[in-house]
Amino acid sequence: MQPKSILKKTTVPTNGAPGTKPVNQRHLHVALHHANLIEQRKRVEAEVLDSIMTLMDYPTAPDADPKRPTPADAQFFRDAIIPFQPSDYDALIEERNIADKCGYALCPRPKKKARSTAKKQFIDTEYGVEIVDKKVLEVWCSDDCAKRALYVKVQLDEEPAWMRQGGHGDKLELMVDNAADLHKTLPLRLKKEAAVEKSKDDEDDIEDAWAARDDAMQDLAVERGEKPDQVSKANNELVRDQITERTPSDVPPQPPTLPSQSLEHTMAIEGHVPRHDRRAEEDEEEDDLQDWEKHLPG
Amino acid sequence: MEDTKYNNSLIRMWRVWRTTKEMMNERGYLVVEDDMTISLEDFARRYAREDGEPDRSRLNFSCQPSEEMLVKYTPAPTKKDPNPQPAIGTIWVEFNSDENVGLKQLRDYMGHLLNGSFYSGIMVTVKPMTGMAIRLLRGATGMSDGPKGGVEVFVEQDLLVNITKHELVPKHVLLSAREKAQLLERYRLKETQLPRIQSTDPVAKFLGLRRGAVVKIIRKSETAGRYASYRWVI
Repeated sequence: MQPKSILKKTTVPTNGAPGTKPVNQRHLHVALHHANLIEQRKRVEAEVLDSIMTLMDYPTAPDADPKRPTPADAQFFRDAIIPFQPSDYDALIEERNIADKCGYALCPRPKKKARSTAKKQFIDTEYGVEIVDKKVLEVWCSDDCAKRALYVKVQLDEEPAWMRQGGHGDKLELMVDNAADLHKTLPLRLKKEAAVEKSKDDEDDIEDAWAARDDAMQDLAVERGEKPDQVSKANNELVRDQITERTPSDVPPQPPTLPSQSLEHTMAIEGHVPRHDRRAEEDEEEDDLQDWEKHLPG
Repeated sequence: MEDTKYNNSLIRMWRVWRTTKEMMNERGYLVVEDDMTISLEDFARRYAREDGEPDRSRLNFSCQPSEEMLVKYTPAPTKKDPNPQPAIGTIWVEFNSDENVGLKQLRDYMGHLLNGSFYSGIMVTVKPMTGMAIRLLRGATGMSDGPKGGVEVFVEQDLLVNITKHELVPKHVLLSAREKAQLLERYRLKETQLPRIQSTDPVAKFLGLRRGAVVKIIRKSETAGRYASYRWVI
């Protein structure tokens, strides 16, 4: 005969077996939610990295002018840096500098060389002579590019792209001289202008719209069961537009008086006044002391 | 004094190069014994430029894995893959001389590894890389356009001394797939039940440990003489 186990048969499934139903559906959902968040974050980070790698080699033409970028370049630049945080933008500038280019992504020129190879440099500012790092001097090709690049940076959203909600922060502006050219190539702007024009045409139709609204309101009133000459339930005549002044009286305001048995009320704990004979308790304590002395040996 | 004869940066580079050679040897690559114990005079004769600075472009070298290492890095055979190939190959070590290393240098280096059909690479830089380059490196191990074995980056400063020779650092030994299976069977463990070690741990970085590997750590013990523990690389 086969030996029989005296142990209880375990019905608990071994953990980690794939394909089994999770213990709690909620746990699964929570885990999935967080996993998705991390996944989204990784995707955004990869996107930023890709954009930086592309923007490192920008602009596409070697003789491009940072003041008047080509529409395609400007459009790509604006789209690419939407998910950027200011720190990512700094990283882009840093990478471009390592590649010996001006920090502004739409400028093809090499960065400016400092006068000497010393680590710290003297520069004349309006506050007098200042000593700055050589690195700080060798970021841009000119002050103009610095202005244009920083104009973009201040518009970037501090919040990381995977935390952003809603469509704010997707309207970055570039500081360019040929703004008109660029706007024509941007479908977004065009749409808006069209919308504005449309509203002007609509002005004639506004009166008709109001009339239609009144008709609809009457229909609704009948639906509510009101009679034509009655005061409507949804009437705004209940709110009067006459202002009545409140005349102040000369009598000084009376301070509230305490209820008669004020002592009890101060003793109350959430409305309940505990009945407690304090004196009796104190007597008891004295007794206790003596009791204790009685128990002492000797 | 003998030291005054040589440039400070040359002495630094000599120490870095020796440590790098020792590192490759400890990982299991084939390294000539003389390279690990090269004297400063020999190093200066071979790799110094006229002005006494080290010539970093001449320091680059490649290493072949030893037989022992090939066995160690071969994954356990499965039904699908009865004859697995060792997950290790020729490595290319490059000493970058640029002051700042960014995405550009890293991408060039990866391209070079692919062109030379190296399995993996180590880049030794003068200063730490930029943040974006580190981000690229982190994502590169699973990428299709990088080398199969991945790229590791060390800063020269970290290689001035061989940390595994410090008396407080116990001996770390990487287990092969078979040894790992035996260990888990003997103690009836799952690998998740082992203590862990991060792959960013200095010794783990030094030995190039990969995620999922198990390392045996042998310490001195006052009571038992030697004490071995096992850690799972995460």
